[in-house]
Amino acid sequence: MSIELRVYTGLEKYTGTRYGELIKLELAEGTTIRELIEQYKIPEQEVFSSLVNGLHKSLDTVLQDGDRVALFPPVGGG
Amino acid sequence: MPKFLRIDMTNQQLKWEECPEKYLPLGGRALTSQFVLDEVPATCHPLGEFNKIVIAPGLLSGTNAPSSGRLSVGAKSPLTGGIKESNAGGICSQKIANLDIKAIVVEGLPKEKGFWMVKISPEGAEILPADDLAGKGTYEVTEILLERYGKKVGVITIGPAGEMLLAGAGVTNNDSDGNSSRYAGRGGLGAVMGSKGLKAIVVDAPKTFDVPVKDKERFSAAAKKFAKILMDHPVCGEGLPAFGTNVLMNIINEAGTLPVRNFSNNGRFDLANNVGGETLAEVAKARGGKATHACHPGCVMRCSNVYPMPDGKVCSPIEYETAWCFGPNLEISDLDVVAKLNYLCNDIGLDTIEMGVALGVLMDAGVIPFGDAAAAIKALEEVGQGTPAGRILGNGSVFVGKAYGVTRVPAVKGQGIPAYDPRSCKGNGVTYATTPMGGDHTAGYAVTSNILKVGGFVDPTKAEGQVDLSRNLQIATAAVDATGLCLFVAFAVLDNPEGLPTVVEMLNAQYGLSLTVDNVVELGQSILKVEREFNAKAGFTKADDRLPEFFYTNKLAPHGTTFDISDEELDTVFNF
Ligand code: SF4
Repeated sequence: MSIELRVYTGLEKYTGTRYGELIKLELAEGTTIRELIEQYKIPEQEVFSSLVNGLHKSLDTVLQDGDRVALFPPVGGG
Repeated sequence: MPKFLRIDMTNQQLKWEECPEKYLPLGGRALTSQFVLDEVPATCHPLGEFNKIVIAPGLLSGTNAPSSGRLSVGAKSPLTGGIKESNAGGICSQKIANLDIKAIVVEGLPKEKGFWMVKISPEGAEILPADDLAGKGTYEVTEILLERYGKKVGVITIGPAGEMLLAGAGVTNNDSDGNSSRYAGRGGLGAVMGSKGLKAIVVDAPKTFDVPVKDKERFSAAAKKFAKILMDHPVCGEGLPAFGTNVLMNIINEAGTLPVRNFSNNGRFDLANNVGGETLAEVAKARGGKATHACHPGCVMRCSNVYPMPDGKVCSPIEYETAWCFGPNLEISDLDVVAKLNYLCNDIGLDTIEMGVALGVLMDAGVIPFGDAAAAIKALEEVGQGTPAGRILGNGSVFVGKAYGVTRVPAVKGQGIPAYDPRSCKGNGVTYATTPMGGDHTAGYAVTSNILKVGGFVDPTKAEGQVDLSRNLQIATAAVDATGLCLFVAFAVLDNPEGLPTVVEMLNAQYGLSLTVDNVVELGQSILKVEREFNAKAGFTKADDRLPEFFYTNKLAPHGTTFDISDEELDTVFNF
């Protein structure tokens, strides 16, 4: 299955991309967000928000074909 | 003994008064809102002789409590017709507090046309003619006054927009670098100051952190502890210093709640990243600016930035809401254009959010095309020139909507809604609808729990839990706005159970009180009651606590949501 991944705000140092750059991935069916971040060796505690299609999801979430995944460390403002 | 300084513009007189007992326990928003209720007739014309501006430092301002130098400016708002407290950073709050001034009150209207300024120092205060400053932008005015009175003075001033009495005009003051960019922007208070013929207030105070404190040791222990609480929190201690508030751009976009193209039905903008915090930090540093900067001495979170522009000037700071309103909201994806529009607002004396929302409505009307940077810049410049089109824009989003026949006007109580679409950040929708301030994101910043997972999590796309969330945040915010602490301490205070007790400990040590955490909640509630009472007297009803129609009927992609919190539920927000 194909998914879209974007990482932001410092996490890009693990993916070797630019922040927000679209990363297109082919993943095995049943892959979870946790397995995806392990693939890039992103320390789990650095991923504070994982959004799938714009909604907060836990790291155990099983990804589906066509999902848009975005990962963030803690961010805030206002 | 703390004092009130009354500036009587009718008789051109200054009067020092002992702070009335009633106001001694109040500061910041608690003081300004109570004062406006007490002394401003709710039905008065906001630009007439009976309105008053009250400027007050927070309860902790002028001490070494971290990030405590916020300034409250209050009056009846010409934009909303209701009560207004507009909150600014910058260096003036600490200076005013260190002159032992509890509040500066500006009242009356001058008998003849003209402009004046007031100079305040430890030696006293004087009122001086300022016709030489009239018509000038705030950067130039500030530069002239720093030259005249010393590099370290604080300058509170208005731009040409305030002089022209436009409802989008703000009141600004400078940061430590002399940038006149720290705005009490919202609600048109610049026009109130303009109506009184007051161009500037110069605050000369040699001290910054020396306000008398009853129990110094206890205070400094609490202040140190509070600084640690802030620095240990990942948002306050890392995120805000590294990227500023504009770090929000990408997560709000990913969450699908970014208003795009005048709150169209799509909550994402493909080019949001180009105007986001990461890009801002990168460009600012590459050009020799700063990604980390404090708006006043003693702020440890330092969310401000210094963005060098191609023309050699700097815009400091660019905040998220400004990057949003001049970026995705207008389908503009060039940070240099955002900076230019931001700088123009600062100089002309305008609230960036109101102008960004108003430009979105203007583009929706087809007067200028979406995405047309040159046209947006020209439209804003016209405000400064006072052309008829410029005056329409300068009066804000609702005025523009009426002038050009646009019904999609994202505003509540006459004030433009910022940066978070209420259809999929519903907690903020409740705040926009119900806060006595009109469309205001800070008044009950539910983005925390809705999107940022600070202080718990409430699903932003669902109606459940949003009323309670907004109510609690509105109460907490009102209290924080009374202390002079920057609202961004809330990230740490919401997550760390030691946070609020430490704020209470600082207040108790400073004033020799024995307040409890419950008293702080009561303070927040009482401020909201005071503000609601003023608005009720000014003619506001439940019908004013609603969002514009299109948020209830037009679905927002990608979540396909509308704002579906019922009127009955909205009417329970102030059930306390
Ligand atoms: S966090 Fe930002 S806005 Fe708040 S006081 Fe510090 S620099 Fe100013």
